[in-house]
Amino acid sequence: MAEPELLLDSNIRLWVVLPIVFITFLVGVIRHYVSILLQSDKKLTLEQVSDSQVLIRSRILRENGKYIPKQSFLMRKFYFNNQEDGFFKNTKRKVVPPSPMTDPSMLTDMMKGNVTNVLPMILIGGWINWTFSGFVTTKVPFPLTLRFKPMLQQGIELLSLDASWVSSASWYFLNVFGLRSMYSLILGQDNGADQSRIMQEQMSGAAMAMPADTNKAFKAEWEALELTDHQWALENIEEELMSRELDLDGMFSKELPTGIF
Amino acid sequence: TSVQTDWRVNVLIIVLTEMRDKLRKWREDNHRNSEQIVDVGEELINEHASKLGDDIWIIYEQVMIAALDCSRDDLAWTCLQELKRQFPGSQRVKRLAGMRLEALEKYEDASKQYDSILQDDPTNTAARKRKISILKAQGKSAEAIRELNEYLEQFVGDQEAWHELSELYINEHDYGKAAFCLEELMMTNPHNHLYCEQYAEVKYTQGGLENLELSRKYFAQALKLNNRNMRALFGLYMSASHIAASPKVNATVKKANVKYATWATNQINRAYQVSYARCLL
Repeated sequence: MAEPELLLDSNIRLWVVLPIVFITFLVGVIRHYVSILLQSDKKLTLEQVSDSQVLIRSRILRENGKYIPKQSFLMRKFYFNNQEDGFFKNTKRKVVPPSPMTDPSMLTDMMKGNVTNVLPMILIGGWINWTFSGFVTTKVPFPLTLRFKPMLQQGIELLSLDASWVSSASWYFLNVFGLRSMYSLILGQDNGADQSRIMQEQMSGAAMAMPADTNKAFKAEWEALELTDHQWALENIEEELMSRELDLDGMFSKELPTGIF
Repeated sequence: TSVQTDWRVNVLIIVLTEMRDKLRKWREDNHRNSEQIVDVGEELINEHASKLGDDIWIIYEQVMIAALDCSRDDLAWTCLQELKRQFPGSQRVKRLAGMRLEALEKYEDASKQYDSILQDDPTNTAARKRKISILKAQGKSAEAIRELNEYLEQFVGDQEAWHELSELYINEHDYGKAAFCLEELMMTNPHNHLYCEQYAEVKYTQGGLENLELSRKYFAQALKLNNRNMRALFGLYMSASHIAASPKVNATVKKANVKYATWATNQINRAYQVSYARCLL
């Protein structure tokens, strides 16, 4: 069945589509700067810093241990994993799960996160819905089922209208997620306007539960390190090296080429 | 005349941006050409401070450290005062004040300064490392080594510290421990040919058949990572010939090492030819 092509008034483009884009973008930029102002300093304890570095070292040992001699690798593996006094076996950290009730700073952080992100989104979404209601804004390029109609066509009471035609509120939400890459371009990585990243963090924040589980991290590293074997990368280095002549191009030139360090 | 002044202003702006870019490049590459920095920086600060905007603060820091290197306490003091005025109570500025005291050899006062930083923020690595440098400057290498070891126990990831420790151990002729430090560096920077070469040299100095074999392997690795490393090439030649000349090796090993040494000699000859060709050009 051929879909009837609707021709929209070009005024819609001028006065609805573009303003919503601008509004979303500006609100995002404002959110970014507000989040910078409201940022609280996270003070890390010495132990946390130290532990995170130890975990990194163990990971490096697993990944790049093949570049050091076998004896040295085994010595370090023994230091970490030894049954009696290995670091991972023996070190137990006091685990305080930072639930929002007990940790006041977590509570204020959560509140700040909500205020700067969720609240404006709801407010502006509602305002746009109220202002720009009653007409169709745009068409999404893929077909949607009828289930989406009440969600995407708020304020348009047409039963026969294709679900692909959406209202301005959906255009707003489309923008919120779509402008993410624009924000990275303009505000740099890690910006406070990145809505989806923040939502992801909030969702996985419950799962990660912060470095309180250093013990679990240690256990995971212990297991991973146990499984690692030493495959010395330099076993046949001489044969590999001498299979061809050295490339002496540009050897004594004034400009030192910056090699890969 | 307005055209003339416009032209002069344009030249001034070009010169300014050039100087500022030079300083920034030196800062990013961590160059220690202190005299040049003092020359360029002093002129920038004295003549054109207003036109630099917010860059001026980091330039103050850079110039101050360079001035301490060149014993220009007057310049260092000026920079420090400006920074103190703009950032009162900053730990970064406190560290700079401590460095100035170090340069004046007032080690007790400098140490107190760093202790006060550490009281506020026990995770501040810069202050701890400065305290170790004081010990090194006073010639107390055993204490410096001990403090550095303690520091590294807490901050295992600090590569600068590992390198410093390896240097200290080499000075004390404790090659085994120096090798350990260099191994850490090789693991975190597997593509850096200089660490491989340094490790090989330490192993070579330690001596003994096993260490010589290891040193030969790591000279080869350094060469593989950078074909133009002449020092590694010579090292490869020397370690291979040493092993070949040792009475304890069997015939196969001897033959293999003679082959390696010969290959190294050929490459060295080629390198000399390249350098002659360049001289003739």
